[in-house]
Amino acid sequence: MKGISRVLVANRGEIAVRIIRACQELGIESVVTVSEADRESLPAKLADRAVCIGPPPPMQSYLKVDTIIAAALGTGSDAIHPGYGFLAEQPQLAEGCAAHGLIFVGPKADDIKKMGDKLYARKLADELGVPIIPGSELVCHVGEAADAAERVGYPVLLKAAAGGGGKGMKIVEQPEVLLTVFDEASVEALSAFGEDRLYLEHYISNARHIEVQIIGDRFGDVVHLFERDCSLQRRYQKMVEEAPSPAVSPELREEICKASVRIVKHIGYENAGTIEFILDQDEARFYFLEMNTRIQVEHPVTEMISGIDLVKEQFRVASGDSLSVSQEEVKVTGHAIECRINAESPNAGFSPSPGRIREWKPPQGEGVRIDSHCYPRYFVPPYYDSLLAKLITWGRDRDQAIRSMQGALMDFTVSGVDTTIPFHRFIMKNPDYLRGKVNTGWIENNLVKEYKGNEGDPFR
Amino acid sequence: MEGIDQEDVIRILRMLEESTFDELHLEMDGLKLVASKSSKKAGPVGGLNSDDHESTESRADVEPNVQAREEMPDIAQPSDLQENGFIAIKAPMLGTFYRAPKPGAPPFVEVGQLVSEDDSVCIIEVMKLFNTVKANVRGRIAEICAENGQMVEYQQTLFVVEELEDAETGEEENDS
Repeated sequence: MKGISRVLVANRGEIAVRIIRACQELGIESVVTVSEADRESLPAKLADRAVCIGPPPPMQSYLKVDTIIAAALGTGSDAIHPGYGFLAEQPQLAEGCAAHGLIFVGPKADDIKKMGDKLYARKLADELGVPIIPGSELVCHVGEAADAAERVGYPVLLKAAAGGGGKGMKIVEQPEVLLTVFDEASVEALSAFGEDRLYLEHYISNARHIEVQIIGDRFGDVVHLFERDCSLQRRYQKMVEEAPSPAVSPELREEICKASVRIVKHIGYENAGTIEFILDQDEARFYFLEMNTRIQVEHPVTEMISGIDLVKEQFRVASGDSLSVSQEEVKVTGHAIECRINAESPNAGFSPSPGRIREWKPPQGEGVRIDSHCYPRYFVPPYYDSLLAKLITWGRDRDQAIRSMQGALMDFTVSGVDTTIPFHRFIMKNPDYLRGKVNTGWIENNLVKEYKGNEGDPFR
Repeated sequence: MEGIDQEDVIRILRMLEESTFDELHLEMDGLKLVASKSSKKAGPVGGLNSDDHESTESRADVEPNVQAREEMPDIAQPSDLQENGFIAIKAPMLGTFYRAPKPGAPPFVEVGQLVSEDDSVCIIEVMKLFNTVKANVRGRIAEICAENGQMVEYQQTLFVVEELEDAETGEEENDS
């Protein structure tokens, strides 16, 4: 590929594997950074080279910008792919790449910075005529928060301005508890993002989380790849994603896709990104939530319905090429679902379950895709997130995709560590899910309780 | 979680080492592990559980040996070396390895040279930040394993030092 012949993959786990495989298909050499805990990982085996960048804790390895730039330069790499998480949305890595003549496979540092400020992003959407949830500017103390909450109406959601990923986010049901929750949210925001600026929004309880995948090139062309529905969440962590959304009408779809392209074109955004929306199911209205300036965990469902390889497309536009497809050429075929298989114990409040995997038998078959870095006897280290695999199925329609997922989950055998597989089997049999009648609170408010009453796994 | 093996115990001990805690007590099916950072209570108590045999057997067959790669330093090496009276000086960070304090200057150390704990042996540069590496061991430089100006990885072996008895080191120093 023009301009990129060797890439440093500055990540771990399944996304490192995903990126390395894309490199192999593109004829790009790959070097993967590993912490001491990941020396024997699958990415280390698959990449052309693995370089150890430090001890296991992320602060001493995967989050060290200077070390990662030094590793790229020292290995003769001409580009860095950050994956998701870690440094993907830290402008310092993108800036460091620019300063050292390296290609950052992602957006410009400036755009990461701008859209990372959630209040700026809200304002921008508002200016561009994209609806935003009624909310406040910065609230500096609890008095301001109380006034703002009164104005937008309870319940409200307190959020960190530097936020994302659900951290520093708290629901306030009534004015009486605002003081306590305000302090909690400040503390959480400070520890997660290094700053405690908060704002608040009206909380929409019967909501779906809908997001639009976009990708842009340096010639100003932007295409959207339609929406994903990520409403099945537990504590703001997505568990199941699907595309297209069963709750989005053709009219609504056109509206959110157009709004997304409008925002992205306005900032002259390059590379892959996602515009997140909240769909108020009672009012059938959508609101802009935020933009994520990276490839996302759930990108495979979009790939399955569009036939477009997003990671390859990322490399393509990063190297200076134009997008390989035009908007007219992007077509949706069938339906795709993704289940996140985590090393967690659904029977013990989803507590993390690191340790050595004994058996690892993923399902196979027509329309079944597994993105994973696991193998039999792999040791799941306790330092990182608990994602073991993404199980993705495709079908001609939603029913087929669900049936395929039910079968695939039955054929997925893992022992040695606890996983969310039994919980996913439970979801895939639930009548509400089958009818598409869910919202972002559904797993926590309904399913977790039902699951407890079902002796864990209803299939056994 | 199934039983834990020796490697897991090492990992747990490392986690303790890096943590802010002084002591660790772990009890699970048939296993009791007590570890402490202060020497008076040190040492694991009791044995590994019976699953251990199953856990360690034929591991090499299942997990291809990535450490055999040229660029992956063998972390099993130091203990072997130590038994033979050799000790590795390892890179404390990833960066560019420099044998001399500045370009054109003589190297910090050459093969055959005697070093003591506080002697500087090389510099590792990370983005214009120069970190001097100390020997942290007394002995004679037996081998220089990294190339000047090249990138070294975290924990890569930079030098192999033949450990000398205190008396012997003193003698040698007198001779030279």
